[in-house]
Amino acid sequence: MIRNKKTKDEIIRYSLSRRKFLGLTAAGAGAAALATSGFDKLQAYAAEHGQVVKTTIENGEIYSLCEMCVWRCGLVAKVRDGKITKLEGNPNHPHSRGKLCPRGQAGLGVTYDRDRLKWPLIRAGKRGEGKFYKVTWDEALDYVAERMLHIKEKYGPQAMIFSTTHNMLQQQFENLLGAFGSPNYGTQRSLCFNAMITANMLTYGFEEPGRDYNNTSYIIYAGRNMMEAISNSETQDLVEALSKGAKVVVLDPRFSKTAARATEWLPIRPGGDLAFFLAMIHDIIKNNLYDKEFVAAHTFGFDKLKQEVEKYTPEWAEAQCDVPAATIRRIAHEFAVASPRAFAHPNWRTSNFVNSFQTQRAIAVLNAIIGNWDKLGGQCPVFGEGEGVELGRVPQPPYPRTAALRLDGVPWKHPLVPLKLGIFQNIRDAILSGKPYQAHGWFIYRQNPLNSIPERRKTLQAFAKMDFIATIDVIMNDTAYYSDVVLPEATYLERFDPLAVVEGDVYIRQPAIEPLFDSKPGLWIFKELGKRLGLGDFFNYKDEEDYLRAQLKPLPVSLEELKKKGRYAPPKEGDKEKAVGIFHTSTGKIELASTVLERLGHKSVPHWQEPPRPGDNEFYLLTGKVALHTQFFTQNNEYLSDLFPENPVWINSRAAQERGIKNGDKVIVESRVGKV
Amino acid sequence: MAQKRFAFVIEIERCIDCKACMVACTVENNVPVGHHRNWVKQIGPKGTFPILGMSFEPGNCMHCENPPCERVCPTGATYRRDDGLVMIEQDKCIGCKYCIEACPYDARYFNEKTGTTDKCTACVHRIYNGEEPACVATCIGDARHFGDINDPNSNVSRLLATNDYYRVYEEAGTSPAIYYIFKGGRKA
Repeated sequence: MIRNKKTKDEIIRYSLSRRKFLGLTAAGAGAAALATSGFDKLQAYAAEHGQVVKTTIENGEIYSLCEMCVWRCGLVAKVRDGKITKLEGNPNHPHSRGKLCPRGQAGLGVTYDRDRLKWPLIRAGKRGEGKFYKVTWDEALDYVAERMLHIKEKYGPQAMIFSTTHNMLQQQFENLLGAFGSPNYGTQRSLCFNAMITANMLTYGFEEPGRDYNNTSYIIYAGRNMMEAISNSETQDLVEALSKGAKVVVLDPRFSKTAARATEWLPIRPGGDLAFFLAMIHDIIKNNLYDKEFVAAHTFGFDKLKQEVEKYTPEWAEAQCDVPAATIRRIAHEFAVASPRAFAHPNWRTSNFVNSFQTQRAIAVLNAIIGNWDKLGGQCPVFGEGEGVELGRVPQPPYPRTAALRLDGVPWKHPLVPLKLGIFQNIRDAILSGKPYQAHGWFIYRQNPLNSIPERRKTLQAFAKMDFIATIDVIMNDTAYYSDVVLPEATYLERFDPLAVVEGDVYIRQPAIEPLFDSKPGLWIFKELGKRLGLGDFFNYKDEEDYLRAQLKPLPVSLEELKKKGRYAPPKEGDKEKAVGIFHTSTGKIELASTVLERLGHKSVPHWQEPPRPGDNEFYLLTGKVALHTQFFTQNNEYLSDLFPENPVWINSRAAQERGIKNGDKVIVESRVGKV
Repeated sequence: MAQKRFAFVIEIERCIDCKACMVACTVENNVPVGHHRNWVKQIGPKGTFPILGMSFEPGNCMHCENPPCERVCPTGATYRRDDGLVMIEQDKCIGCKYCIEACPYDARYFNEKTGTTDKCTACVHRIYNGEEPACVATCIGDARHFGDINDPNSNVSRLLATNDYYRVYEEAGTSPAIYYIFKGGRKA
């Protein structure tokens, strides 16, 4: 399948062995101490390959945006003597406020990673053998286009799957998908927050209500480890709220750092959060502690809710969630007394379990009945991502119609799941079953589905059924390793991305240095690939800056000005529209009982769903986050792996003792789908 | 203007142990990977389930008023400046490591590349340029503060004037210049 036109000495071998892969840091303190900084190493390496490392300016500061997680903090890249020496938080960006988290501080470790992808690669050996030809961009892109067009002609555009993760170029990726005409699009959304967003949409008509940390006096988290899963500005807000005396309650089976710093930690049975919140609602209604005026004026379905929660007494909940009934009563009382300066956080991690949708609905309803909507210290309507400024667009024709069913079953099998969110893991399963039709190609951009979709073995089997897999990334991750073509993208410090709008202001990601080696910016890659796919009309821009100029066209600011300051703040037209009483639901009210659920034949109010319990000699397996890594893309970062080199499993100390397991022992964890 | 006297003030209840300070320091000062000029000490978990506590105590060279490292240095490479900062003159350091042993805070490391001892300089190259030390500037929890305690209006002076504080190993007679504020909330 791969054209064998290369000589043998141009084959590059990659290894996924972790020790090798982490060669920079695995040597341990003694030997590693001799190592110089990432920049020096890469400089030397670049010189070996006849390349000079160039910056866009000789000395000075470049305002740009971080990409070490999805929070997109503003950053200032310091350039001295032609190299980036340090990243600082941009004081004029609402997400960073002058600070960067450890991952943001370690950004140079991505750009100056000696192991980063340097040239386009085409697979030379078998999939997963790690052998690749080093090729030119023309060769690589021609080949990708040829394979994709072949699949399109033979099986239709729907046989190509496209997948990516939350990033600033997502709109351009979606443009490629739309122009190509495939309905099959996999994102991280369904692996992350589907339940939370769907529940809030059905309840409030907002994806995720905001929180007023500045004025709050009571916060409940369930599955949001804010001090380790850092969302820079929100984490700053939490520390400040705690310091001002707000009470913070954390429900978490693990004693996380957030649990440690919170006012009160309630260890809870996984999935038991739902019972906890249902009992809180029960208790608040029973004791008349809810906001009657607000409920009467702005909510729908209170009587149904009241009737449903009648049975969810704190005593009942104790049996489900392991939190004592008296504690649930006390928290319910405290929360209601603190209202409206109180909120239960919508969380992220209470979005991935079998009963998460009900948990999220219960949280949304709990907030509603204490009347904290648009009140100081409660929940607030916020701008959605990108809302607030109308940016210009590069002119392009309309997308072709896509008649084929979506492989993820949305909406034809799963009508409740928003189209935008989809169900990524179902696409994988549809590849395996070949139903409703067989997919043949997979185009992956900045995503690592082999690691991020649970059940790696199944994903590998799905890969094996693909005629063609192409991956764009900055490093040879597991997915790239199993791909037929690997395209090296410039890192976030080397490229422009489409503009970002945050809270009604415009921010730019721009290069501090020119792309190293033969890496290219995503905007260039999509344009060049689009051209070769016969879709040039959809990528009607000359280069990156041309694209950004088109975006800026309606605004009275030039690209040059924006590059200088990194930010454009258009004059705001008075205050934000008051959103009290405006809810984008069918009834126009907060739906305690959901009319949509009712119509689709589901129970309309939040109710108990029993989560599974482990059998004998079985345990719950929970995963959590740490401050020093972001999903699967920071493990090769020398600064971060130096401080967090291993991902240890925590075992309940009693269970460990019973099995004679001590701290630091190696254990095998097995489930029905695999073992580690 | 009065002589400056620099000190760190750390509000330990605001530390979330994210270690942004450590990464920032490593990048800013080009610290060899595997060594660190600053740290976050974890205290706990303590207690009995489910009543547990854990807190975090960030630190770095304490820039002592009476530094044991200075006393043992045979060449005078380690010295204390008038502004309170304890520094190492790299040209004079012979790498004997006496100071590493003498420091009760374990704040010094031997740089195999240069053959000399190194440690926190309070980012002296930044602070006289109107910037905070890298660890302070990026502190997500706003736990780390740095400033002139001879200036009653500085952020550090104001924090010390209104809060109780402790210092580490004061009994060693070092008179360290890191002041830890603990407001008496839940501590491990």
